[in-house]
Amino acid sequence: MTLAELKRGQNAIITDVSSKKIPLKLLEMGCLPGNSVELVQVAPFSDPMYLNINGTHLAIRKETAIHILIETNDA
Amino acid sequence: MPKQINVALIGNPNTGKTSVFNALTGLNQKVGNYPGITVEKKEGVCKLPRGVKAHIIDLPGTYSLNASSLDESVVIELLLNKNDKDYPDVAVVITDVENLKRNLLIYTQIKDLEIPTILVINMSDRMAYKGISLDIEKLEAHLDTKIALISTRKKQGVDNLKDLISNYQNLSIEPCLSTQDIDIDYFKGLKKAFPNQSLYKLWLVITQDVNFGKISRNTIKDTSSFKTKKDSDLKRLQQKETIKRYQFINNVLKEGQTIDLKTAKDLRIKLDRILTHKVWGYLIFGIILLTIFQAIYDWSSVPMDFIDNAFASLSDWTKNTLPAGAFTNLLAEGIISGLGGIVIFIPQIAFLFLFIAVLEESGYMSRVVFLMDRIMRRFGLSGKSVVPLISGTACAIPAIMATRNIESWKERLITILVTPFTTCSARLPVYLIIISLVIPEGRFFGLSYQALTLMLLYLIGFGAAVGSAWILNKILKIKSRKFFVVEMPNYKLPLFKNVALTVLEKTKSFIFGAGKIILAISIVLWFLASYGPGTEFNNAEEIVTEQYASNNLSQIELEQKIASHKLEHSFIGIAGHAIEPAIRPLGYDWKIGIAIVSSFAAREVFVGTLATIYSVGSDQEATIKNRMAAEVNPILGGPLFNLASGISLLLFYAFAMQCMSTLAIVKRETNSWKWPILQLTIMTAIAYIVAFIAYQFLK
Amino acid sequence: MNGIIQNIFVFSSLTIAVVFLVRKFVWTPKKKTAKTCDSNDCGCH
Repeated sequence: MTLAELKRGQNAIITDVSSKKIPLKLLEMGCLPGNSVELVQVAPFSDPMYLNINGTHLAIRKETAIHILIETNDA
Repeated sequence: MPKQINVALIGNPNTGKTSVFNALTGLNQKVGNYPGITVEKKEGVCKLPRGVKAHIIDLPGTYSLNASSLDESVVIELLLNKNDKDYPDVAVVITDVENLKRNLLIYTQIKDLEIPTILVINMSDRMAYKGISLDIEKLEAHLDTKIALISTRKKQGVDNLKDLISNYQNLSIEPCLSTQDIDIDYFKGLKKAFPNQSLYKLWLVITQDVNFGKISRNTIKDTSSFKTKKDSDLKRLQQKETIKRYQFINNVLKEGQTIDLKTAKDLRIKLDRILTHKVWGYLIFGIILLTIFQAIYDWSSVPMDFIDNAFASLSDWTKNTLPAGAFTNLLAEGIISGLGGIVIFIPQIAFLFLFIAVLEESGYMSRVVFLMDRIMRRFGLSGKSVVPLISGTACAIPAIMATRNIESWKERLITILVTPFTTCSARLPVYLIIISLVIPEGRFFGLSYQALTLMLLYLIGFGAAVGSAWILNKILKIKSRKFFVVEMPNYKLPLFKNVALTVLEKTKSFIFGAGKIILAISIVLWFLASYGPGTEFNNAEEIVTEQYASNNLSQIELEQKIASHKLEHSFIGIAGHAIEPAIRPLGYDWKIGIAIVSSFAAREVFVGTLATIYSVGSDQEATIKNRMAAEVNPILGGPLFNLASGISLLLFYAFAMQCMSTLAIVKRETNSWKWPILQLTIMTAIAYIVAFIAYQFLK
Repeated sequence: MNGIIQNIFVFSSLTIAVVFLVRKFVWTPKKKTAKTCDSNDCGCH
């Protein structure tokens, strides 16, 4: 599943990042395969998404989140 | 040991880099620009032990050496150019103890440039709160450097940092990461092609457009031993490099850092639950905005009245005390009223920047960006456009500069183009004086008509900005990558010192930047209003005396007639008469015409100009407002400033692009004359049409 | 006498003001032009 489908308060592990679609800056902020991600808060229409990636708190748009693949812990 | 050394402060945004800079330099700092670009350059001096002086540069905050904005490229250009006079003898990388992992990324990059590097771990006062403990010795060993654990809030560790800086020559310059490990074949080839260069520096040059000594990216071409790569492959390698750096950092932190999550407390979650809430978040943001505007007007009205009166009396005193003559008149009517027109802004500018600094420092601004992004995107803007649009209420120039962190070029361009519609503080004096002249003093449900008019003007400005953004979004055909990444920093209590220094610096730059222009224009205007060509001006006395010979005027009345005759035939009077046909349909006379033309340099000149024009030839002490109220419409009779011409003027200033400095900034930020010229033409056209309709409808 | 001195002051202030304004807005000393973003998305974002 992609990061865009994560629910508020849910945790997951990043499995793959499509480097063509994702800015390097996001990778440098810790959005890399193997790191954990939690959806902290969403704005109306769940966009943008307020995330906690590996201890770094940041917000990205849904259109970016669909290019980040994740695996939830409970799956 | 040299007597002066260069120190560069480097670090991610939100690590308290500026606090460290303020702690080291105090008031010994100045803010300028990097040559040719509008990136702020902050530098200062700090005295180190043993009589050594450190010249400290606070480089713009950056997440890595891979620049994605103009601000960030300043950092890498300096660090790659050993001949730059500011090239650091020692780099100080600032990190936040709560975000050590991410903050260390840039540390490893700086270290790989083989510059002596000191690591500062800031905000150490938060460690116990967050359950973090550090083994400094182990960290120093693994990171191969010296560490200063400091807390600018508690003023701890700063002396230790000064000691480390003065002993910079003992630091190791071994890199953290072997660049070759990223892709062995590729880098072997690169090394063969450029045997004498540092591989990491070459790699930085290849992956971004920065000139590096004599080798620019274009000269790195295919040779037999080295093949260039496609951009997508380079990006893959950059990702690999980032992963390698994080592996290194993870290994270091496994040894040197322990976090006990049980004792960690988190204020962030509790506050964010409310402040970023779908309903409460917006409500609170609205209340904060209203409070700020209310406070700015309430708090600054008293000092502003005081300044206005003080300058009126000072001008009067000068005239009565100094020997009569042309220069005394210039002092009293030109220079002092011009200065008054600058000083009167100080209270409002200071208060506005006080609030903006507090919102930025506390971390709340990022929450506003988060809340507003979706709404702003509908109009072709970004959540990050909110910050420029809010700071645009102070001045469009810093606001346009604040658009630099908007990742998408189209969203950034639209923000730049529409920001000048927001009601900047330079419009305020124009609004305030005209409102007080033409809007009656009644109340409507406890709110005064005058305050409501002012609020309406702010809404019109904001509406014009958002509306034109929507139109621009439809018509501009620009393909651009859409990225939006915003860090949500921890909430912090703003440091008084940081806020005070920001307010001081912004106010100073207003006085000495815009102020000089206003003062110079006042002098020129006074001259143009006090001198004139031809017999009508030079023989004004005889002409007027003859004309009114039979009217038995008193001496004072006669002098006033002479003065107004002189003004009408002065240089400025002639110019004003020339443009009168164009502005008559808007309800203005030639004097307002002069004020509009001269205020093209900067809007606030409008009031100063009217003050200069009206004070030329009037003797009694009077505030600008009283003089304006006494003006009579030369054709229709009745007061010149009535509801129709007043509303027309208010609307003209709401829409017109009356600011040369903003145009200059737009030119610099967009690197083309096309956008500022387009902006000027369209805004002036809208202003003229709206003012025309308003006047014709109301008169 | 007094009038002449006052006029000298007036014209020197005027000259300073005009020179300042011209330098500020019309003729700016040549500076290294910065590499900023062109109207197409050149990749500096």
